[in-house]
Amino acid sequence: MNGLAAFKCKKCGRIHHPKHARCLTCRGREFEIIHPEGTARLLTFTDACSLPWGIDERCRTLGVVEFENKLKAMGLLRVAHPKLGMKLKASWEPVRIIGGEEAYGLTLEAA
Amino acid sequence: MRKVAILGVGMIPFGRRDDDNLMDLLSAASLKALDDAGFNDRPLDALYVGNMAAGILNHQSSVASALADSLNLLPAAADSVENGPASGGSALKNGILAVASGYYDWVLVVGGEKMTGVIGPKATDTVATMTHPQAEYIYGATLPSLAGMFARLYMKKYGITPRHLAKVAIKNHRNGLLNPYAHIHTKITLEGILTSPQAVVNNPIVSDPLRLYDCCPVSDGAAAVLLCPADKVKEFKKPEVLVAGFGQATDTQTLAERDDPTDLKAVSIAAQKAFQMAKLTPKDIHVAELHDAFTILEIAESEHAGFFKKGEGAKALDAGVTEIGGGLPINPSGGLKARGHPLGATGVAQVVELVWQLREEAGERQVKGAERGFSLNFGGFGNNVVAFVLRREA
Repeated sequence: MNGLAAFKCKKCGRIHHPKHARCLTCRGREFEIIHPEGTARLLTFTDACSLPWGIDERCRTLGVVEFENKLKAMGLLRVAHPKLGMKLKASWEPVRIIGGEEAYGLTLEAA
Repeated sequence: MRKVAILGVGMIPFGRRDDDNLMDLLSAASLKALDDAGFNDRPLDALYVGNMAAGILNHQSSVASALADSLNLLPAAADSVENGPASGGSALKNGILAVASGYYDWVLVVGGEKMTGVIGPKATDTVATMTHPQAEYIYGATLPSLAGMFARLYMKKYGITPRHLAKVAIKNHRNGLLNPYAHIHTKITLEGILTSPQAVVNNPIVSDPLRLYDCCPVSDGAAAVLLCPADKVKEFKKPEVLVAGFGQATDTQTLAERDDPTDLKAVSIAAQKAFQMAKLTPKDIHVAELHDAFTILEIAESEHAGFFKKGEGAKALDAGVTEIGGGLPINPSGGLKARGHPLGATGVAQVVELVWQLREEAGERQVKGAERGFSLNFGGFGNNVVAFVLRREA
């Protein structure tokens, strides 16, 4: 699963997702592109049931995860009963139609 | 810098205002502020308008120019200020700086939003455009969903329960009943929204653990303040209410990139700056208007702004400290929860409420003896926060 790109500061090593022009720690301007590694740990989540225009679902579960290489990102959970700290495996799939086109993002299911 | 006073305030009742367009709302609040000051038809130097989403919701841009024309403030300078739900706070800060610098004397600051002209999911989507396009928005992230993820962690860390959240909602609805400007005039009970079998129907999940009554309504509304140098207040027959301090701070756009997602750093820094400028501390404040777009935020902001230690905000709520008549009344107006949250209006409306409180003009919701007030306007999900400290001169 390497669809999601993150940005590791070449100066201090801080990992960013999404992209920044300068490092959030040291203001470095050069980054190495990296991808999620290993399984992800669920840091927080919510069952969102008041969804915006364009998503024809009653509810969807969103979460923030941290991968083994410390990359943190939001993703769409495909887990019936999520629990904080649970291990998840990630895929890169369409998550929404925006302007008539599929937008790809992180999806997560139980590891 | 010169001392800045709030000479006049005005507001229109928040709610669903089908017969008014955005310019009607902004104009009505503006005229009320000018009339409150007794300013009559004197010329103004500048106008600042806080508005987040007229371009999307109302298909209208250059709102400040249009308002200057509507009010015949011509040829006053006019600027629109967009800072998400903190647009009103940011507009006010810019107006204060303009007067404090000595460049302008008479400045009108107006905040407003017309939100109910679109259906709920479109309003939700409009507000969600302030999330990160690639890292959050594509997943369907909304402000309630970010608040839900924050609430799950904050409640676990500090032992906050759904009952605490419900108590914030009940308190603010009760206050809203005393406020003729509030959008929601509905009494709610613990049984009705939490403990009875009907509660799950009355109070469905919006973004768990947050339920319907944990979230502010979608509202139309506007509020306005007239600023001037403090030494010019004596020309008018108005009590002298000063902007004693203000502060603003930013944080990461995405929740995921915060080292500790339960730490509302921008709230702490903005509040500290405002108190430092005012040469006051949280203990000196008699009344506060906090940005309770979600009930969890009233508790978390009360702690991050320094009124209570971390984990003590819910205990203060339980003890009645934050009630009108308590040691630190929070949101006597009803807050965003009951007064409503027309995005760009909120930061200005909070300050209007404080001025009414400090002038002892708040009617049934008056906080007795209030001489110093604090407001906090929370943009994005805490990524751009503006705070103010007001003081009434003897």
